[in-house]
Amino acid sequence: MAGKSERQEAYERFCVLHRFLHLVAMLGFTGLALTGFSLKFSAQGWAQAVVFLLGGLDHVRYLHRYCAVVTYACVVAHALWLLYFKFLLKGSLTGPQSLFPRFKDLKDLFQHMAYFFGKGGQPRFNRFTYWEKFDYLAIFLGMNTMGLTGVVLWFPEFFSRLIPGYFVNVAQVLHVYEAIMAVALKFVVHIISAHLRPEVFPLEKSIFNGKTTREKIMREHPGEWDVICRGLEETGSEVPSEKL
Amino acid sequence: MKGFSGKGKGKVPAGKAVFWAAILFLCLPCLTPAPGHAEAVNRGSSWFVDLKAYAEAAHGTLTCEECHGTMKEGDKKHPNLEDAAFLKKEASRVYDYGRCKTCHRNSYERYLLGEHAKALKKEREREVASGGPSTGEKRAPTCGDCHSAHYDRSHLSKVEIGREMVQVCGTCHAAQAKTYLENYHGKAAVNLGDDNSAYCTDCHGAHHCVSLKKKEAALRACERCHQEASANFTQFVIHPTVQDLDEDDREKRFRVAVIKVISLIMSILVIAVVVFFYGHSFLWLLRDLHERLRKH
Repeated sequence: MAGKSERQEAYERFCVLHRFLHLVAMLGFTGLALTGFSLKFSAQGWAQAVVFLLGGLDHVRYLHRYCAVVTYACVVAHALWLLYFKFLLKGSLTGPQSLFPRFKDLKDLFQHMAYFFGKGGQPRFNRFTYWEKFDYLAIFLGMNTMGLTGVVLWFPEFFSRLIPGYFVNVAQVLHVYEAIMAVALKFVVHIISAHLRPEVFPLEKSIFNGKTTREKIMREHPGEWDVICRGLEETGSEVPSEKL
Repeated sequence: MKGFSGKGKGKVPAGKAVFWAAILFLCLPCLTPAPGHAEAVNRGSSWFVDLKAYAEAAHGTLTCEECHGTMKEGDKKHPNLEDAAFLKKEASRVYDYGRCKTCHRNSYERYLLGEHAKALKKEREREVASGGPSTGEKRAPTCGDCHSAHYDRSHLSKVEIGREMVQVCGTCHAAQAKTYLENYHGKAAVNLGDDNSAYCTDCHGAHHCVSLKKKEAALRACERCHQEASANFTQFVIHPTVQDLDEDDREKRFRVAVIKVISLIMSILVIAVVVFFYGHSFLWLLRDLHERLRKH
């Protein structure tokens, strides 16, 4: 802390594991989107160009499954961390400072929308805002459904022994629509809300280097700052109270 | 003077430029037909033959007589002045395709065992009963309806034949061709040229042309590539369409309905979620920009 100004106190917002998982999932998701869409839209020239550049259909298929395994490994790692956080760190997975959706998020959403139209101020967000929770939960649940439907499409012979064969069709439909939704949301909505809006433009670095500052917490997550000030770590919140 | 930087009357408004750029980059990629689908295949067995194209085709080394016989055969005059209407008949309906058998024995015999020959037989019976040529969009094909004896080329790769096949079969089985191309098999085989994937005849047989409505036949077709396939596996719907489906094929109608309903629900969900969040992001950006500009 010696070299830094008093006002620029650094706090850790994301631990090493979360930063790493975000990075891997980000790359894996991009790979999945690229390879998957170049199969889905294979009638078009750009998709055929991508398939050609990646070395043919067999490679694209392999890469898609490779990315899927790597990305799903992030889900597993994260799920294990959740258990670790809950049972060893005695943290709360559903408290006000957690990523669990609460009634306040709905109120925040309406208040925020009202703020867009110039009515009232911004809501006092906790550690995670409603759009951050949506981004997180959409990906966390989405990866599971994508993984489930994807694995059915990967091993149709095996799964058609357990479930009717046309469920493979259903899996295909769900896989495709959810992929379109995920790409439409992650590559546009997530990037705008997390990085590109004027407040944070051009890049929100905290997910990559984990660091945030006192000003930032006070401005963006005032609810979290209150908790830090009150020193209520033991309330079971996911607060990174240790200063770097 | 026209241009984005030009001042005065000829200036292109930014809105218009954005509009055309959007058309160019967002719309055109989907509106442009994919390569390999667009070229029309020179089909048809007509009375008139383009000899230059004929010479380059598979049968180019054959003389006319080898397939059509000499003018002196039988007791018919050639051309037969008493039956001038003959020339107005469709060539693919009057030619005696039994002659193909001389060289293409296997194909011919398989065709006779297949669904197309059965359909042709029924059609001929109907014609005799009604006393006139059958009309309607779909008529049973003879050899010449699918193959062009004059223009089809030889030594094509599996992918080239397959791409042409989807068009030829799709002439009558349009819904099947469309659903096939939406299926992974079609995307891999036709769009990406993967010759390990299945084209029409890989499942339905080249000249047998079986419908695969029977489970045992379907399973045998699946098993050719998917060795682990079970009876359940054949319930997978390659062609989710009800075109040409028997009224009493409840099972498949149900499956197609399930697939369509789930597609509909999913598309509504996707559109609703995407529209909401895009609107949310857009309004947010406007508000943020507004705040920024007001501060300075």
